[in-house]
Amino acid sequence: MKNQLTPKNITFGLFICFLPLLMYGIDAIALFLSHRNIYLGFPSGDYMLRIIVRAYLYMLLAIGLNIVCGFTGLLDLGYVGFYLIGGYTAGLLMARLGVNYWIALPLAVLNGALWGLLRGAPTLRLTGDYFAIVTFGFAELLFRIVKNEQWLIGGPNGLVRDIPPPSILGVVFNQNWHNYYHILILLILVVFIAYRLQHSRVGRAWVAIREDEQAAESMGINVSRYKALAFAVSAAIGGLGGGFVAQFQVNISAPFFEFWESILILCMVVLGGMGSIRGAMIGAAILGSLGEVLRPGFIIPYQFGGSRYLIFGLILILLMRFRPGGLTLRKAS
Amino acid sequence: MSQFLEQIINGLVLGGIYALIAVGYTMVYGIIQLINFAHGEIFMFGAYIALMLITVFGIPFWIALPLSMILCGMLGMLIDLVAYRPLRNAPRLSALITAIGMSLALQNLARMIWSARPRQFSPEVLPTIFLSQNAVTLPGGASLPYRDVFIMVLALVLMVALNRLIYLTKIGKAMRACAQNPVAANLMGIRTNRVIAITFIIGSALGAVAGIMVGLREVVTPTMGYYKGVAAFAAAVLGGIGNITGAMLGGIIIGLAEVFGAGYISSGYRLAIAYIIMIGVIVIRPSGLFGKSTGHRA
Repeated sequence: MKNQLTPKNITFGLFICFLPLLMYGIDAIALFLSHRNIYLGFPSGDYMLRIIVRAYLYMLLAIGLNIVCGFTGLLDLGYVGFYLIGGYTAGLLMARLGVNYWIALPLAVLNGALWGLLRGAPTLRLTGDYFAIVTFGFAELLFRIVKNEQWLIGGPNGLVRDIPPPSILGVVFNQNWHNYYHILILLILVVFIAYRLQHSRVGRAWVAIREDEQAAESMGINVSRYKALAFAVSAAIGGLGGGFVAQFQVNISAPFFEFWESILILCMVVLGGMGSIRGAMIGAAILGSLGEVLRPGFIIPYQFGGSRYLIFGLILILLMRFRPGGLTLRKAS
Repeated sequence: MSQFLEQIINGLVLGGIYALIAVGYTMVYGIIQLINFAHGEIFMFGAYIALMLITVFGIPFWIALPLSMILCGMLGMLIDLVAYRPLRNAPRLSALITAIGMSLALQNLARMIWSARPRQFSPEVLPTIFLSQNAVTLPGGASLPYRDVFIMVLALVLMVALNRLIYLTKIGKAMRACAQNPVAANLMGIRTNRVIAITFIIGSALGAVAGIMVGLREVVTPTMGYYKGVAAFAAAVLGGIGNITGAMLGGIIIGLAEVFGAGYISSGYRLAIAYIIMIGVIVIRPSGLFGKSTGHRA
């Protein structure tokens, strides 16, 4: 694993950057054919672009979760908690206090990191199942608080309405393609940070902790410090995703941050292969878009609403059984 | 005063139900050190299977109850056979992720089969003794439905039976041996895989009973396995995971805490109380109230 600009990585990056061109190309073809009375039944380019923005958002979150799950090998079942914190930090600051998005977003990131440390402090010594359970409980508690505390949030069921779009010098970023480039820039930033961390002293320390915590400690790695760093970075990326989604969705509410969202992101990381950044991105691309395509009413009839998550569950089981290293890695970590 | 007494009764009944579920978590954890997330879903299936047997096939309640236990026991065994047994020697994280996947798949399978609509055991198919108006009035004006008495007695009987099974029978001895050291138990001629399968069957059958009990008092939904399952898991953690007596007492404590929390603090935080207890126990005393101090387990 070298940090190189291999042709494979460059192609992958270019594909991700120019995906909307492909989408608008398909849209143009569909439009052209519709003038000739041929209807493909293909969703419109704008709708596809929204799906892609969501897929990129999931890539960003999957990379963040991958830092704790993949690099340090701790199962985090409450990642959605940081997403929620980022979302509500940015959402409330912007909708209630009128703070500029470009100030609210870094605050969301910082708040995410802060909560990552707060949650990390009591869980530093925990491993395996117990860590998973505490993280799960943490996210569920946050979810209940947001859902119940109306005085804090201002709306029933954690509803924050009319989050204003960001703007620079009077240019308001409220189009789908604005959001596309916005998330793309954030994603590139996060991928860059994650790659640099993975191939640095810090990343090697994380992997050492994953492989054998005691051996790592006896080699002079300050396990607590590196774990805390992993929690903070991971949570900060979650907060970033939340901050973005607040302005992207315009209205956010509690069901948006339910426990299953955590599992979905975990599913992406596992599918791509834990511990691999490209794997997390591929997993997010597959499940993020698949999830949208499998939404009830589109291909699947409404009465089979649960089938989307049924498929995700089966993916987890089958992967662990037959390919525990995910799609990208050869052997189990 | 009567309200207070009714709250206590509610808490005890809920606690008995939680204890029955928690035993399933704790038994499996004791033997293979796996949090069987799918256990909550087995409990939910128990309720649905009984509901289907009674309403669709017209089977009387007293036959549907054991039948649902048997079917759920088989479901539990099947889950172990298909999903967990192949991963016995894999990293712990893999088995945990499989358990989550299984829970997700089963919950949404139930949603596909029975839809998300809450269902109830309709009064005409149940024995009349279970109707909520059939109740004794306690001194002080609190009413105690026969249904709740039945649930508490049945839970107690099953708990005692389980306790006797584990401490007095040969299979119980084999289970304890496997919990202590599976390799050594295997060397002594105990068929570990069979013992694990039996553990799953017993845990799942008890879960099915708990599911039916919930069906008698509340509604049956596909997500009940998740919500009640987490609370029951909190009970197992509170009692010291792997410790069966602890799970029973933990169930009662969580049940009471939940009912009183919902009654006197806020009903929106009904479940949050179980989560808080669970996190507190794990962070402060991971071995639980009654567990041996084993430190933090990997």
